Amino acid sequence: MREIAEEDGNKNMKNRRLNRQGQLQMTETIAILFIFFILLLFGIIFYFRYQKVAFQEKQEELLAVRAMESTLKVLFMPELICSRGEAEPEDNCFDVLKLNATQKTMQQYLDEYYFEIFSYATVTVQETYPENKTWVLYDKPKPEFTRKEPTFFVVTLRDELAGKDQPEYGFGYVAVTVYS
Amino acid sequence: MGIKKNVRGQMEAVGLVVIVILIALGMLFMATFALKSEPQKKIFTRKGLAYSTMSALMKTTVSEKAACYSLSQGAPKIGGDVIEDCAKYRDVDTSIYQCIGPTSGKALHSCDFLAEMIAYTLGTTLGSWNKNYEFHAQLIPFQGEEPIDIIEPIIAGGCPKWKERDSSGLFPINTEAGLVENSLYLCD
Repeated sequence: MREIAEEDGNKNMKNRRLNRQGQLQMTETIAILFIFFILLLFGIIFYFRYQKVAFQEKQEELLAVRAMESTLKVLFMPELICSRGEAEPEDNCFDVLKLNATQKTMQQYLDEYYFEIFSYATVTVQETYPENKTWVLYDKPKPEFTRKEPTFFVVTLRDELAGKDQPEYGFGYVAVTVYS
Repeated sequence: MGIKKNVRGQMEAVGLVVIVILIALGMLFMATFALKSEPQKKIFTRKGLAYSTMSALMKTTVSEKAACYSLSQGAPKIGGDVIEDCAKYRDVDTSIYQCIGPTSGKALHSCDFLAEMIAYTLGTTLGSWNKNYEFHAQLIPFQGEEPIDIIEPIIAGGCPKWKERDSSGLFPINTEAGLVENSLYLCD
């Protein structure tokens, strides 16, 4: 009887030890899984944040490309560029006479014609020397815009009426702001 | 027992691989951020702006208000008459053109006028947009000689070589005194 009781006791002890070992292993596995999922969660959060920033950057990039394109369009507009008959037009030069006329024309045909070229944008020409004059050529900001991208280019302003024998060249810049 | 140990060892190895993969992904993201190239627009604008500024400046004529007309000629051109006059008479007290400076309001020697005029025009454009720039006008009297600054370099913020900068390129003007090379450096 005694032997049987001792044997039973030993078996119980062995079972208890095995149970404890199993419990420890379970806890270890759970801890590892917990840490793994935490890391995975961090990874997912980081990835989505990165995607969000990347998307915003892409939008900014697209706006910057539009700003560049609009600026180039303005710089080479036949309505503004300094020309002389059939000769090659002067680069980085706007004709003041053309500027005065185009200012009215652009405002008159803003929606019908120029909106297709510039979309939501503002185009201004500012003279800094000899006078301080401003020509607002095109002004159509996007209602409730979230972002705007200004681009500046320096130009010379040819005034055929100012010089005595030769035209006078002023100094100024063109500012093109695009909206999104 | 041996099989159990083997399985456990394999699982640990898998865990290690997972951690290594996660760290590698993290490093990859960091590298993507660090190696991001400068935006295309920034480079285009800086290059184009440097060239257009120089091109416009060289074409600009001095206004009637500056009262520096010689008898028969029209308005003197900065990138022609004024620079030539400065190159020729830089060591002499008086020059042919004695124009009124846009900031000082005084009749100046063509070299002083040139310096004031360029500083003014660049200040009202590039300066007002918080750009750093450097303007140089150097005379090369004869081929192979060391260039001489005909005016003090106009520096706003400065664009040293180690900084990311763009140049307008050389705008050479042939004068009786030699070749005058004008250049503008632009940086953010």
